[in-house]
Amino acid sequence: MSEAPKPDGQAVERFRIVMLPHLDAAYGFARWLTRDPIEAQDVAQEAMLRALRYFHAFRGEEARPWLLRIVRNTWTDMRTRRSLEKVPLDEADDVVEPGPDPEQSALAGDRRREIARALAALPEEVREVLVLREIEELSYKQIAAVLDQPIGTVMSRLSRAREKLAVALGGRLGKE
Amino acid sequence: MDCPTCEAMVEPYLDGELPAGESVRFEAALEACPDCRGKLDRLRGLRSLIRELPAERAPDLMRARLERELRAAIPAAAPLVESAPSPTPGSAATPSPRLWSRRSAMAASLLVALGAGWVGGRYTGQDGSRETDELLAGYLRVGLGDRPVDVASSDQHTVKPWFAGRIDYAPPVYDLTSAGFPLLGGRLDVLEGRRIAVLVYRRNQHRLALSLWPATASGDTAPVVSEQDGFAIARWRHAGFELRAIGDIAPKDMSVFAASIDKAMEAGK
Repeated sequence: MSEAPKPDGQAVERFRIVMLPHLDAAYGFARWLTRDPIEAQDVAQEAMLRALRYFHAFRGEEARPWLLRIVRNTWTDMRTRRSLEKVPLDEADDVVEPGPDPEQSALAGDRRREIARALAALPEEVREVLVLREIEELSYKQIAAVLDQPIGTVMSRLSRAREKLAVALGGRLGKE
Repeated sequence: MDCPTCEAMVEPYLDGELPAGESVRFEAALEACPDCRGKLDRLRGLRSLIRELPAERAPDLMRARLERELRAAIPAAAPLVESAPSPTPGSAATPSPRLWSRRSAMAASLLVALGAGWVGGRYTGQDGSRETDELLAGYLRVGLGDRPVDVASSDQHTVKPWFAGRIDYAPPVYDLTSAGFPLLGGRLDVLEGRRIAVLVYRRNQHRLALSLWPATASGDTAPVVSEQDGFAIARWRHAGFELRAIGDIAPKDMSVFAASIDKAMEAGK
């Protein structure tokens, strides 16, 4: 693989205009992937830098799916790297502790917290599809591009995700 | 249309993925199929629950780190000349030099919509640059056009009392217009968990933020000016205060600024 050309000032400027507006989306997606606000920052930041590095290969397709795909790949790589390194557990700060974080507790009401918890508890394979569809509001085709999967797979995972979430939130949905 | 066919279309319909003709057929079939109607209702309910979740915003400390990286990615500092209109993406126009101020204004504009929340409270820089990150993040908030200062005044007798009751010390406030750094006002910020006073000055079209708080160590130190990614940062201790100044100005101008502050502090003793 050839070395990516170093971005010049003009490329960086274009990158700001095209990609930076999607930083919130990148971070938000990373939040749902990592389920940790600090780790999400690392993933999103690393993804933005990768996106800058590969920006020369961006051909004016839709920016958000392009970026979210990089976010997902970055997360996959970081996780792989970490499991290879076998990070010792006594590095307690790096261990994701499930539980309320400042943002979560700031969410208005139990209801949202419950929804967030149920969504976060879904297996990653279906969680990411549901987040891309319902939160990022991507189309099937865009989701397929982010995940590098056929549309049929996207549809079946989405269906499973909804089923699982509906079960988890049964009480909330049951009320007519 | 039989029910299994109909049922398979519920989700694509909900997701707006059915071609127009299919949608019409589906809607007609739905009339006769209470099960699928119920399923559609439940899915809509689920969707509205998910969409109640507030949108995530990237923390501003992370934006500041990213901003540093983007600046570092540019090979050389752009010369300070007025820029040509931005070339349209994809055009073969020659690279246009940009004003630093313009660049930081763009960066800053990204911060406009952010609240003051310090989501990255647990974050510590791996290279001990957390203070720099926080100064930079604070500076980018100052750089934004919206509300650079909490109290806007070039009058030190207005700015100084404003801090009373807001922080637990009285920062010395001096207008440095005569030295070429008019005072724009003051604001509060948080540095390493502590509420501090920030004074905002102007140098031509650029802004400087001076953060200061009571020193715990004694003795004055001379200002040390460093340049980082297009920002000049000065660090020093004088007359019992720790001082940090940051701005998108030349390092030599920053040295002049720091010396002017020292002089004013001496005169004000």
